[in-house]
Amino acid sequence: MTENTEFNYQLPQETYERLAAFLGERYKDYQDPWGFDPKTFLKAVKILYPLYKGYFKVRVFGIEDLEMKPYIVVGNHSGQLPIDAMLISMAFILETKNPIVLRAMIERFMAQLPFIGKVSAELGSILGDRKNCQYLLEHGESILVFPEGVRGVSKNTKDYYKLQKFSTGFCRMAIKNKIEILPVAVVGAEEMYPFVYQAKKLAKFLKLPSFPITPLFPLAGPLGLVPLPSPIDIYIGKPYQLPTELSYDASENLIREHVYKIETKIKALLNQGLKNRRPFFDDIRKPVWDFFGKLNRK
Amino acid sequence: MTAEKKELKILIIGMAGGLAQLTSRLILKNNPHAKILGIDSRDLSQCPKLKGIEYMRMKYSRGNFENIFRSFEFDIVFHLARVSHSSNKNDDVSKRLDLNLMGTNRILSLCLSFKVKKLIILSTYHVYGSLPDNFVFIPENSPLQASIHYPELRDVVEMDQLCTGWMWKNQKEMSTVVLRPCNIIGTQIQNAITKYLTGRLTLNPVDFNPMFQFIHEFDMASILERAIEELPTGVYNVAPNDFISIKEALEQVQGQSIPFPVSLGKPINKLLKFFGMDVPDYFIDYLKYSCLIDNQAIKKHLGEKFYRYNVRETLDLISMR
Repeated sequence: MTENTEFNYQLPQETYERLAAFLGERYKDYQDPWGFDPKTFLKAVKILYPLYKGYFKVRVFGIEDLEMKPYIVVGNHSGQLPIDAMLISMAFILETKNPIVLRAMIERFMAQLPFIGKVSAELGSILGDRKNCQYLLEHGESILVFPEGVRGVSKNTKDYYKLQKFSTGFCRMAIKNKIEILPVAVVGAEEMYPFVYQAKKLAKFLKLPSFPITPLFPLAGPLGLVPLPSPIDIYIGKPYQLPTELSYDASENLIREHVYKIETKIKALLNQGLKNRRPFFDDIRKPVWDFFGKLNRK
Repeated sequence: MTAEKKELKILIIGMAGGLAQLTSRLILKNNPHAKILGIDSRDLSQCPKLKGIEYMRMKYSRGNFENIFRSFEFDIVFHLARVSHSSNKNDDVSKRLDLNLMGTNRILSLCLSFKVKKLIILSTYHVYGSLPDNFVFIPENSPLQASIHYPELRDVVEMDQLCTGWMWKNQKEMSTVVLRPCNIIGTQIQNAITKYLTGRLTLNPVDFNPMFQFIHEFDMASILERAIEELPTGVYNVAPNDFISIKEALEQVQGQSIPFPVSLGKPINKLLKFFGMDVPDYFIDYLKYSCLIDNQAIKKHLGEKFYRYNVRETLDLISMR
């Protein structure tokens, strides 16, 4: 397990240099057709590090055993905005012995948003399409997939931590490329927006994938989208190797069997994480209480 | 070259274009005994007078066009006369439909009737459309989606489909090659992308940064020339291996550019039209989403290195104009 113990939220210079050397070497002869830019990526890691360590106080479990090879990382999607993707990607680049750059597969809606689509492409995300995925796997990249899609990220409060139906495309890609699947569970991201009602009809009318209504959004405008500092735990399971005899064109039932096993693994990781999660707001409450406690003693 | 090849009679339709002129010179260089007839509805008086090339100004949708097939007995026909979409003017639409569809249909029929050995048609990668869900790299058998979103490209898509359908139907009678090149740029090319890159004041997208493939006009002419001998019947994407983001391309050309959000491109374009500085509507989406094409099919026949200039060299060459 990796945990932040010091109150230092700046990316250590040593880590920065190690990452710069790694990215320089890894991508020296590679030109990315989506516009992934290792320099922008490194800058983003530096900028987002205080959020990762200080704001969301991310803890990562099970990352020590990872080998330096491509994986298809499959996670539960939660938290209304794809902040969980950013935190998982940061964990894989910062907490592993050998950094792993995850190429997140995103929805078409995201890809066509001005500025957001451009920045996310520069940071390595790609449109969720099997041909794109194939291209990256052939070039030795690791992929981050949320098979629940928008259904996972746009849940009402009552459905928090309930896994939605997984799509099966990632499993077929893993079979085709003989790549291990890495189940990942994120605990704490749902509480970034603790009370949410999904206005599905309004979303449909506005041609949006979802329209979450929270106590602050849309009342407070864009400020209402600022996530609460819920502590995040990322649990990484053991790699799942699909049987070699399974074909890419196997029936949906055969594939679904393995998808179900991966879902079960993620559920188990989620349950483990929910038992051990840090109390919500504890990190904010504790320093305030300590401060008043000191005042009382005086 | 065999004796038969030395006597090649070649028709180039669209001869007033820079690419056609480059191609004709390359053909003559490699086959000095070839006889080329270049025709165009545009003025040909500025075309260089070279031994082996004859020019005729005519519309290929007119009756006398058939007579030249009868008189010359062509072996090879290059159809490079697709009317481009560098303007949105409404009166262009009917002209484009007439030339690109009816004219092409006429060329195809005449080639078949007069037993032309090979027909080489220049289409464009624009037929695939610039869509947010485009994957990389788009192969030749992908659906041609451009006309769904851009009605102004309907004739280009239909022309391509007309040619490919016709090609497979008549493959036993004659060999047909349809080329779908990426952005052809060069000092002699006057298409929308060349104008955009080399404009005195270019709009530089700030909210999108799509990837582009560019091929130099010389390389394109060379591929057209090699298509005579080396490309069998089929559809081929033409693009180099490398690509570049539009931001980097503009930096490479080193023109003056002003940042602007492409998301506002369509309303801005309406304003530009008012001042007569119109940009084709579809072109705005090409500045938003990448449309990268796959070059595996052409590589199988022309080899791994079938072009001379990489993307940066190509851009350097046009920045010198």
